[in-house]
Amino acid sequence: MILAPFTLHRPESLAEALSLAAKLPDGGYDWIGGGTDLLQNYKNRLNAKDHVIALDRVPEMRGISAERIGAGERLAVISESAVVRERWPGLAEAITHVASPLIRNSGTLGGNLLVETRCYYFNQTPFWRGTKGSCMKAESDECLVVPQKEICYAAYSGDLAPILGVLSATLELASPAGTREVRIDEFYAGDGIRKNVKRADEIIVGVKVPAEASTLRAGYRKLRHRDALDYPEMGCAAALRLDPSGRIELLRAATTAVDVVPHFLDFSELMRGQEPDTAFAEVAAAMEERAQPKKNTSMPVGYRKKMVRVYLGRLLDDLRAGRTEGRIPAA
Amino acid sequence: MTSRDSRSPHGVGQRVPLIDGPSKVTGTAVYTDDIRLPGTLVGKILRSPHAHAKIVSIDTSAAESMPGVRAVVTGSRDLRTFGVLPISKDEVALAVDKVIYVGDCVAGVAADDEETALAACEAIRVEYEPLPIVGKADDALKECPPEQKLHPDTRHPSNLQKQVDQNFGDVDAAFAGADHVAKGNFRFIGVTHAFTEPHCVIAHFEPTGRLTVWSATQVPHYLHRDLAAVMDLPMHRIRVIRPMVGGAFGGKSDPFPHEMITALLSRRTGRPVKIRFDREEVFLTNHGRHPTKTSIGVACDGDGKLLGLDLDALIDGGAWGSFGVVTTYYNGVLSVGPYRFDNFRYRGRRVYTNKPPCGAMRGHGAVNSRFAFEVLIDELAEKCGVDAAEFRLRNLLPSNTTTLNGFRITSNGTEECIRRVVEASDWKNKRGKLPYGRGIGIACGFYISGSALRINWNKVPQSTAHLKIDMDGGVTVHCMAAEIGQGSDTMLAQCVAEVLGLPIEWIRVFSRDSDLDPIDLGSYSSRVTFMAGNAARRAAEVIRGKLCAAAARLTGYDAEGFDTRDGHVVWLPNPAIRVPYLDALLEAIAGKGALIAKGCYHDAPPMGGSHKGAAAGLSPTYSFQSYVTETEVDPETGFVKPVKVWAAHDCGKALNPLAVEMQIEGCLHMGLGQALMESFGYNRATVGNPSFLDYKIPGPLEMPDVEVHIVESDDPEGPFGAKEAGEGPLLPILPSLANAVRDAVGITMYELPMTPDRVLKEIEKKERASAVREASEAANPKETVR
Repeated sequence: MILAPFTLHRPESLAEALSLAAKLPDGGYDWIGGGTDLLQNYKNRLNAKDHVIALDRVPEMRGISAERIGAGERLAVISESAVVRERWPGLAEAITHVASPLIRNSGTLGGNLLVETRCYYFNQTPFWRGTKGSCMKAESDECLVVPQKEICYAAYSGDLAPILGVLSATLELASPAGTREVRIDEFYAGDGIRKNVKRADEIIVGVKVPAEASTLRAGYRKLRHRDALDYPEMGCAAALRLDPSGRIELLRAATTAVDVVPHFLDFSELMRGQEPDTAFAEVAAAMEERAQPKKNTSMPVGYRKKMVRVYLGRLLDDLRAGRTEGRIPAA
Repeated sequence: MTSRDSRSPHGVGQRVPLIDGPSKVTGTAVYTDDIRLPGTLVGKILRSPHAHAKIVSIDTSAAESMPGVRAVVTGSRDLRTFGVLPISKDEVALAVDKVIYVGDCVAGVAADDEETALAACEAIRVEYEPLPIVGKADDALKECPPEQKLHPDTRHPSNLQKQVDQNFGDVDAAFAGADHVAKGNFRFIGVTHAFTEPHCVIAHFEPTGRLTVWSATQVPHYLHRDLAAVMDLPMHRIRVIRPMVGGAFGGKSDPFPHEMITALLSRRTGRPVKIRFDREEVFLTNHGRHPTKTSIGVACDGDGKLLGLDLDALIDGGAWGSFGVVTTYYNGVLSVGPYRFDNFRYRGRRVYTNKPPCGAMRGHGAVNSRFAFEVLIDELAEKCGVDAAEFRLRNLLPSNTTTLNGFRITSNGTEECIRRVVEASDWKNKRGKLPYGRGIGIACGFYISGSALRINWNKVPQSTAHLKIDMDGGVTVHCMAAEIGQGSDTMLAQCVAEVLGLPIEWIRVFSRDSDLDPIDLGSYSSRVTFMAGNAARRAAEVIRGKLCAAAARLTGYDAEGFDTRDGHVVWLPNPAIRVPYLDALLEAIAGKGALIAKGCYHDAPPMGGSHKGAAAGLSPTYSFQSYVTETEVDPETGFVKPVKVWAAHDCGKALNPLAVEMQIEGCLHMGLGQALMESFGYNRATVGNPSFLDYKIPGPLEMPDVEVHIVESDDPEGPFGAKEAGEGPLLPILPSLANAVRDAVGITMYELPMTPDRVLKEIEKKERASAVREASEAANPKETVR
């Protein structure tokens, strides 16, 4: 496979990046972070653009602090950062679920949040699509998973949106029109093509994590065939705080890869004061209920849906007990 | 011979790192794609998007007129068909009149660069007229008009390619009189080799009119023969070179269309042409393990003595014959060991379907039937209340015997294999005694160590080695045994080092060039150590004789008393009498020139029965295995996570224990892939998951702890007692894991891979059944009396 040809731009600042984009035709360019997702699609000739603007030299997108992670930071760096491990160990551990060490050395936080939605019929080579027919997310106007022409059912398959969502993180978006902040749990919307509320000319510059996040127990669990490389067949995150009597004070849950967007639900109000066992069962069931996987990944739909309850239930039990998966060796 | 007795520090029984390892890990090894000849053109193949279609027309004019395009070739009736087996030469270099699978080669293009070659492929206009697709093996059995047959010339009025019927004893009577019978219908999806290096070939028609082909192949000789047929050249006008190969596992054991296409393009252009596949093309080329439906019945008496095996395999061959006739036999006949029984019936049918061809893959033909057999043995053992390991021990074939179908068994270490893994795993304290969700299982294996009879009927030895030693003392070993990563070069070097008593640094192996290196039939059917090892040993023994004679001349002692060891030629009656190797060598060379010798492995002794197909599965010797696997099964998610495997393999003699261990671990990893997650899936007739992201190969995190037990039964005919270690060790891992799953959660898996959703479904089915049972017992206690 040969990479689709494009002109690469490497701006040195956010302002330069934005003004460069403003000069290019709408829809005529892609932003690139680590490239581990985008270039694979370019090799498959999936919506490749003539211009690619690299963000690796934009200083505004760097830095890791107690409040903010630059969207251009590499996943491996974030996961290994002392600040992140101390304040948000669940995030550090969730990152170890992404792909493989090599890919995490290159992939960025912003890139992961914006990972292209995935579908059995979309993530294929040009030859394959020429054989089976192409879908509305590629060259045609029809969905091959659920035959119709309105909604693209490609699955949102990022690993980090759920954990950042339950930590109530916020995205800093910059565009020539200025900057704005959007909560992660309100960022994703639409379908497999429209995906989120980010406009094409916007960049995710950074991810802000509220101070409260470091007081929560939070984690991520992932269903997949192999414990590396694979995208989630289902992923779930939760954040938990119990009151001194051991009852629910805060409980948020999120899932990924079981719909065109990740699902986020804050159960805190509903469950406050409840016994964890009852609350956990209800939360896990509610998230399973909401899951709408389609037959476009490797594992069967019913199984992926069913596993929401099992994985989320186990995660919540682990959070209560203070157990991690042990994917990051203790310091 | 124990390792202490070795004549060389790198001789038999020594742990010798593979001699080509340093070049691989430093990136200096030269694979086919690393070869850059001046003026090389890039070749690309236009492939069929249809599984079955008539080719109405092909218009190559636009492609041919593109700047930078040097040649376009398409199929022609004038080109001979080919194929690895003489009985099924049903392959064409390029499609003629019709295409029969998605990925079938329709046209070849040679251009100045890859972009141009790809653009030229796109510019070729092909008009197709789709034909009905034969997608499923069952459909292929249906009678159909000749035009709906993939290969109209075959004798059956359907897409059945080969049917094997064998019957020994009286199976029906044995089953009727049996105390216990276990039956099962098993389903196996296809799996593929997933080697690292994609197929790559360079062909160069030189100005002399000679064709040189460099190819990533494990069968240079069969490539040589079929190139001669397709290019219509005598073999001596063709030179085949096998550069370093990055894994093969049977996936490079056929002569391939792309090799022919490259040669055709080079003949057309007069320039070297290279075709290198991308990963999707590797998947489309496949030749992996056949999807198979296996129906099986096994019977025993009340004491757990096996009475009979009734086996039926429906084998989905895909578009071509490949090794399929052999596969059809192997699915049956490789089940006749390691157990003794007197009644055996087998029906095997291989069909053509409009899918990428299947072929030989590590454990060829034996894996699926072995799985079914070993899983049902556990069921039988349970039925007669005998421990699963004990049941197997009661039914073993002895050494030096003949199977009911005429296989000659010589060395046989199965019993020791079982005893070692049972003891090491603490089987007796674990089997049936681990908590729910954890289990332990056992299974055995049986495999050929080379095919006793060659594929092509002729008098060429199966393997030949040439040795040469000139005044520098370095030993060159020439033999076309294909090093494909399995360590055959190292094996040859060790055999020679052992005989000559030299460190391995003195030995250089040349195994890649048909002009320079004598014939070996190739790396398939686990034949290389046994056959090429014997050839090299025999050649080295000739040279040793010359060195001993020279030492006798120098010392005045008798030549018979001398032997080579530790860099000297030593007079054994008094080892103080010794001549340094180089001194003996110079004496041997004096007045004669370099020492040259050859050795060969011609044929196994006559063996086998006279029934139809008696030759299939005959081997000069067989390997035996027994594994115990301990696993966790998560009853809520269905995930199977093998924890530890105790793997015992009888390889006769471990010439290189390090290499044997690596082969066992590699087999185990590959077998676990088929057992747990690998699935060569189809969306109708299109390969569903042609990438390493979607074709799930277990990673390091999925590997259990492996404890290897090498059992040495000292084969009477193997080189230094050795037999194969590259394929048999794959067999027991799948059923031993399934039997462990059964021990863990009480379910029998009749379908592979054991994906978590399938396992969970079986667990839930079992739980539902037991809930119903409990409910009915509670509601009506008398019912349970029935």
